[in-house]
Amino acid sequence: MNKMKEQTILDVQNLQKNFGKVHALKDVNLQLHTGEVLGFIGPNGAGKSTTIRVILGLIRKSAGSATVFGENAWKDSVKIHKNLAYVPGDVYLWPNLTGGQTIDMLLHMSGQKHSAKTDELIKEFKLDTSKKNRTYSKGNRQKVALIAAFSTDVDLYIFDEPTSGLDPLDELIFQQRVAELKKRGKSVLLSSHILSEVEKMCDTISIIREGKVIETGSLEAMQHLTRNVVAVKTVSPIDGLDKAQGVHQLNFTNDQHTSAEFTVDSDQVGTVMALLTKSSIVQLKTTPPTLEDLFLRYYHSDSNQKVGE
Amino acid sequence: MEQYTRTMLMLKADLKRDWLKITVWLIALAGVFVAVAAKFDGIYGSAKQINTIAETLRSKAMVALVGTIPNGHLSTALIFSSEMVVFWGLFNIIFNYSLAVGVSRGQEESGLTEMVLGGHPVGRLAPITAAALELLIANALFSVLTGVGTMMTNMPGSNNEGTWLLAIAIGAVGWAFGMISLIFAQLVADSHNVSMYNYAFLGAAYLVRMVTDVSNPDYTWLSPLGWIEKASFYVDNNWWPIVMLIALAFVAFVVALALNVNRDIDAGIIHVRSGKSRSRFLRGPATLLMWNQKSTGLSWILGMAILGASYGSVFNSIGKIVNANPAMQKMMGESGIRHMEQSQLLSYISLLGIIFGLLAVVAGAMVVNRLFTEERRSYLQMVITKPQSRTYLLLTYLIFGTVFAAVVLFVALFSMMAAGNSVITHDLAFKYFWKVFISILPVVVLFISILVGLIGIAPKFRSLIWILLGGSFMISYFGSLMDMPKWLLKISPYYWNKRVPVESINTDAALWMLVIAVILIVVGFIGYNKRDLES
Repeated sequence: MNKMKEQTILDVQNLQKNFGKVHALKDVNLQLHTGEVLGFIGPNGAGKSTTIRVILGLIRKSAGSATVFGENAWKDSVKIHKNLAYVPGDVYLWPNLTGGQTIDMLLHMSGQKHSAKTDELIKEFKLDTSKKNRTYSKGNRQKVALIAAFSTDVDLYIFDEPTSGLDPLDELIFQQRVAELKKRGKSVLLSSHILSEVEKMCDTISIIREGKVIETGSLEAMQHLTRNVVAVKTVSPIDGLDKAQGVHQLNFTNDQHTSAEFTVDSDQVGTVMALLTKSSIVQLKTTPPTLEDLFLRYYHSDSNQKVGE
Repeated sequence: MEQYTRTMLMLKADLKRDWLKITVWLIALAGVFVAVAAKFDGIYGSAKQINTIAETLRSKAMVALVGTIPNGHLSTALIFSSEMVVFWGLFNIIFNYSLAVGVSRGQEESGLTEMVLGGHPVGRLAPITAAALELLIANALFSVLTGVGTMMTNMPGSNNEGTWLLAIAIGAVGWAFGMISLIFAQLVADSHNVSMYNYAFLGAAYLVRMVTDVSNPDYTWLSPLGWIEKASFYVDNNWWPIVMLIALAFVAFVVALALNVNRDIDAGIIHVRSGKSRSRFLRGPATLLMWNQKSTGLSWILGMAILGASYGSVFNSIGKIVNANPAMQKMMGESGIRHMEQSQLLSYISLLGIIFGLLAVVAGAMVVNRLFTEERRSYLQMVITKPQSRTYLLLTYLIFGTVFAAVVLFVALFSMMAAGNSVITHDLAFKYFWKVFISILPVVVLFISILVGLIGIAPKFRSLIWILLGGSFMISYFGSLMDMPKWLLKISPYYWNKRVPVESINTDAALWMLVIAVILIVVGFIGYNKRDLES
């Protein structure tokens, strides 16, 4: 399948899911192509896991469609699962098995074998595979599932908030392994509520809020979403900041113009920093925007309209 | 005292969570108890009726099951207390177990204990003390309810002291076993294993009680469960067993406290050993199920073998009732006696067949139930996202559960045969036991298929299986003793072949049960393939 170019691996159209009276998914659209890494982001409770559970055939859609490899996600789930690896957000493992036994079994169930790569991953993630699952922390259980998934050779990998229990070092290993999958032409669906994580790895990003996918596009196209928030104090007044490219929402917090808060486009950070340096920086704080900030900022007008209606 | 800070607050929270469970159990336990007491006067009011039932209760088979009955003159109240005390003690212990595990290990597993101890000014020993107090309250309520209720029924031959002694004895034995359960909750780190330890201990206590009751009741003091038989209700009204049970509960609680102080949260005193880091055996859902069931499975088989053998070991005493009467012996001749002995034994076997059948259903249903437990605990999401169909998964659990139930039933019946035939001179033929085995199988399949149907279409109501099973058992067990109407008796699947091996198997009934089972299984499979999986 590696050679097929730009083939649609995953296609979700106008997906809806109701649990009784609760509309968990209202309108979800997702497309994932061969060799692509799709970031699926949204705040907690937006419907990421529910969407993934429909894609995996664990729950039934209420309306719309979900196909994987061109097959119906619900009816043909067994066929689809032959070519898919999944790591849930909360990994729960049978308490009486050791981590190593779990990995071997999960591999076997996918028709795979414990390989040199499996050993390499175990070493890399520093997992003691002789311990019983019941003694593992959340992060270690996640590692078990990740090791099994990464040493499974399939075309589609689905990760649902996979790094929520990992430390920064393991997170880095995860990112490297995803990059490697991408290099080998595999397709990856990665859900997360951390924007920076998705930024580093994904070609395309879909944003979900309240059961609706509200924006989809490449990272470049969404550059405006990845502005950093900067708070700065300088010795002399910062001149020309209001005219500098990529600076938005500028607000001087004193009359001398030696203290300011603003947001800056990621690709303009260099030039803006050069400008600030001229005024001798005393204190500098930059924070990547949280998803909540983004939603507030970019969809504020949208919700206002709703209120007005 | 700092260790106990906020015990009362914890107790309040525990009660707030468990009040419904406690209420339902109390209504069932105390309610049925009082209802039976009220009905007793009507069934065992006259001297003639008392004599008939006394003979049944004095048979070794019944002694083995429910305990001894005093010699001499019997009254309605005496029959009642002898018939009920061990049984209700057992039920109350099961209630206490379920409460104790939930409020100790169960609570810790869910992370609640850690949150409360770590982030709030709550003493280290407050949760376990609150657990002990909750059990005390539940048992005290049971004693009060049954005491007041039974007093109002005014059974002939009863006295207030005896009634209260009976009610308090059942409450006390429940509390004592609940406190022992708190010790096990410190030893192992998960609630499943705590339950295993609990029931192993209860099983041992019951077996010691049974064997000693049949052979030499003086030794029944060896089992805490046997103590309640020694209270001599309505005759001497001996309060010593109550004192002993309460003392046992206190000692158990102190031991549990000492163990609790010396362990870390979420850990058990018995450490979890590491295992192998590779596996060739685990290949899919079936091997995984075998692996997960291996210790439970072996315990069941071992337990049923011991239970069967213990019931078998009293075969000789069961024949002796006839032997003891010389006039009768002379009248019937040797072959007549042997015939009489045999038919006595055969009815004993058919009675035990029902009990073994009940336990076999429990064993099999627990396997099938596992599929839903794994779904709810999110273990299943790792398996179902592999190329395994839902049909295959459910089928695996169904077949394993049914075969396991059959194995357990077989082991119990044939270890009873082996032990029984070793103590009597004229062996009972294999065919009798085989007939019982064959007659019980459709009942087992029927109950398991009910559970499959529930898991397929309405997993929320899967506990209905236990109510149906308990109800059917109660109907067959108490039905004839309590003079229940025929139509009610017929509802219980156990009714239809309860006379096997004395009578031949009712194949029509067996076939009907299997037909209903097949329908329920098909419904279950369709439902399971159509519904959302929980997470």
